[in-house]
Amino acid sequence: MGKTKQLLIKVLMLKRIFLLIVIFLTTFSCQKKGCLDPNAVNLDTAAEIADNSLCLYSDFKKADMLSNICDNYILPAYTNFNDQTLLFQDLAVSFTENPTIGNLEILRNQFREALLAWQAVSFIDFGPANVILLKTQVNLYPMDTALIKENIALGNYNLESALNNDAKGFQAFDYLLHLPDLNDQEIAYYFTTNDQVKVYLQDLANNLVMNSQYVVNEWQSYKTNFKNNSETNAQGSSTSNLVNGLCAYFETYIRKGKIGLPLGVFNGFSQQEMPELVECYYRQESLPFAIAAMQGMKKYINGTSFVASENRLGLDDYMNYVGATQGASPLSDVITNQIDAIIVSLEELNDPLSNEIFSNKSAVSKCYEEMQQLVPYLKVDMTSALGVLITYQDNDGD
Amino acid sequence: MGISNWLSDFTFSKKSIAPLVVFRILFGMMMLISTMRFIVKGWLQELYIEPTYFFTYYGFDWVRPFDIYGMYLLYGALILSAIFITIGLFYRVAISLFFFAFTYIELIDKTNYLNHYYFISLIAFILLFLPANRSCSVDQHLGFVKRKEFVPAWNINLIKFQIGLVYFFAGLSKLNYHWLFEAQPLSNWLKHQTDLPFIGELMQYDFTAYVFSWGGAIFDLMIPFILLNKRFRLVGYIFVILFHTLTSIMFPIGVFPFVMIVSTLMFFSSAFHEKLLFHLQKLFSWNKNKETKKPEVYRQKTNKIHVFFIGAYIMLQVLIPLRFLIYSGDLFWTEQGYRFSWRVMLIEKAGYAQFYVHDAASGNKKLINTSEYLKPQQEKMMVTQPDMILQFAHHIRDQYSDTIIVEKNGLNVHLESPKITAEIYVSLFNKGSKLFIDSTVNLSKINRGFAQKKWILKNEN
Repeated sequence: MGKTKQLLIKVLMLKRIFLLIVIFLTTFSCQKKGCLDPNAVNLDTAAEIADNSLCLYSDFKKADMLSNICDNYILPAYTNFNDQTLLFQDLAVSFTENPTIGNLEILRNQFREALLAWQAVSFIDFGPANVILLKTQVNLYPMDTALIKENIALGNYNLESALNNDAKGFQAFDYLLHLPDLNDQEIAYYFTTNDQVKVYLQDLANNLVMNSQYVVNEWQSYKTNFKNNSETNAQGSSTSNLVNGLCAYFETYIRKGKIGLPLGVFNGFSQQEMPELVECYYRQESLPFAIAAMQGMKKYINGTSFVASENRLGLDDYMNYVGATQGASPLSDVITNQIDAIIVSLEELNDPLSNEIFSNKSAVSKCYEEMQQLVPYLKVDMTSALGVLITYQDNDGD
Repeated sequence: MGISNWLSDFTFSKKSIAPLVVFRILFGMMMLISTMRFIVKGWLQELYIEPTYFFTYYGFDWVRPFDIYGMYLLYGALILSAIFITIGLFYRVAISLFFFAFTYIELIDKTNYLNHYYFISLIAFILLFLPANRSCSVDQHLGFVKRKEFVPAWNINLIKFQIGLVYFFAGLSKLNYHWLFEAQPLSNWLKHQTDLPFIGELMQYDFTAYVFSWGGAIFDLMIPFILLNKRFRLVGYIFVILFHTLTSIMFPIGVFPFVMIVSTLMFFSSAFHEKLLFHLQKLFSWNKNKETKKPEVYRQKTNKIHVFFIGAYIMLQVLIPLRFLIYSGDLFWTEQGYRFSWRVMLIEKAGYAQFYVHDAASGNKKLINTSEYLKPQQEKMMVTQPDMILQFAHHIRDQYSDTIIVEKNGLNVHLESPKITAEIYVSLFNKGSKLFIDSTVNLSKINRGFAQKKWILKNEN
């Protein structure tokens, strides 16, 4: 007994001396650079400059990261999206059966909830969602209102044809539930008197549910494939799909689609504003959807759980693991901060965005620039740090 | 033995034709396989039919892709000539056709530049002048050419030189700070391989990247000499197989490892190649002893014209990879003098570009949708390579020159020779994206060519 105790004390002493040496070395020899990532095993709070290439992590496994993102973000987010569309479908039936102003308001609120739920999954742009081109079926805009009117009038349409992507999905609900030049009573009256629009509304709701249901069902089998395809980051691997889908979606559908296009950035030499291109033009509310998309992206990148705010292995940890930096900061921090800056700049704007682009143009432009800044961080820094190559053919790397 | 004796032994002494013949057969077969693979993968369509713009080489702007039928015809010619090279029928015509067709295709678009394609062009060029069909060929069997048992040594040695040079310069280019002391880009690339079976576990350590970097550099620098040495040749060849197999598992580099494993057989002795041919002839029950005609008698003679051309070729091959020394600035950042120098798997570079057309009269500028003009692969290659950036800027200039554009809101834009600018962010070795070129410089007024590109910004860390 006495011997073991002595040994234990000796070990503890040695441990302390070792710790002292480590502390001594870290404080005196690397006062400048050090690992500042809290997830690392050697977090160095005394460091002045973050050099995350010095960080050590308890064996990072891509498979673990993919599992976490899948189980704690993708699956619950899709389930939530599907639940919201199902609820919308139910309320659409109630409304068409009893088109009161009250029911219209209930349905509109659920429309908003479902569209917010869509934003959180919109950038998961690969796998089942990509098979059915979910984003073009669900949230394309601007709508072809003439086509919607024609479909309602003729009652003869095939919603599964891509030709009708301009006449269905959330933005068709935006139009139908907020018909321009009509007040709420008139809209309710329109649904009371027009059986064809009732049918169309329900058909659109059913189509939306069919698609959300499809993706949720497919992920049940796809998830195994997704988690296991982790060996490389070549084209078609899960990491490549995830990153490519995210970058392309942000660049085209958030930066360009939600802000850039209406602001006129892509409108030739004139840069003339195009107010009718905002999301939910008829509802006159666009910003919460853009904010929801950015918040979703932030969680998705950081491996945060969809429901709780629990932070586990994500792309940020992967970036830290490979020691990616931008300037003097860890790339993961730079990206998170940039997303926060975008959210702040969006929160400073006021709806309707279709007016804001004229009346508060400089603030909208600033928001666009913040979004633009994120593009190289994602497309250049993140993809190359994670070794996600757009490999269309063999190359010998030069 | 004096130098001149050694030199003449090295160039004009009598050597068995067998290695050359084996090389011809293997080369033909490899080209057949890789050409068919290229077509089966759909790359012909993807790289030469679908793009609307092609990044030609300076001085070779006249090289244009043909239409779909023309391109298939060209590839058909490659396949046919590869077969004819293998069996040795109409050899000179076949190898000429192969060389010109292959090189023409490679000159169409810089986007597709690969060191191993350049290597194949050079080998085909050398074979153009060698009598590789003088034994074990249909040509010789049918009596179109006289059988040869011997060739001057330079026939064999020039090919060995070319193969050795590829390794040696690939090794030399690895002797830089990033490769040796940061283990870049390997340390980054290997960290993505942690989920590989068996060796994945090793990939998380920086140590592994250093072993691979230093090992790769030493291998490249030494392997030509090891293969030349009779005693160590077999060991060297085992290393060649291991090295290329490993790289082909870890990186998407297609047929290149296979091409090198097969080509380095050239370093084996005449006896080895004769044995190979003997078995091959047995396989085709083609009895050499039945040959009635006697083989051509070998006469050693020094041909001054040959000496001059061989010397010039060797000089060029040594000087071209060194031309980067003329340019100032960080080679990996500016890539001036980067191609045709056996720099393989040396840098990790990515970029993002936005091009603008300016209207001088109003001061307005229009953002160009790059994907309207370029395929994703072209765009990816262009954004990090200044000569391609300039070419693309000129292409945009030409699209907008002397045009009047009336926009939807009534704005009238009259452009003569518009100013083109580009905002480009590039990241080298994952050290963070930085502005790559002067974003205010009017690219439409800058001439193409080999002059120093002063509009590339410095890579400051």
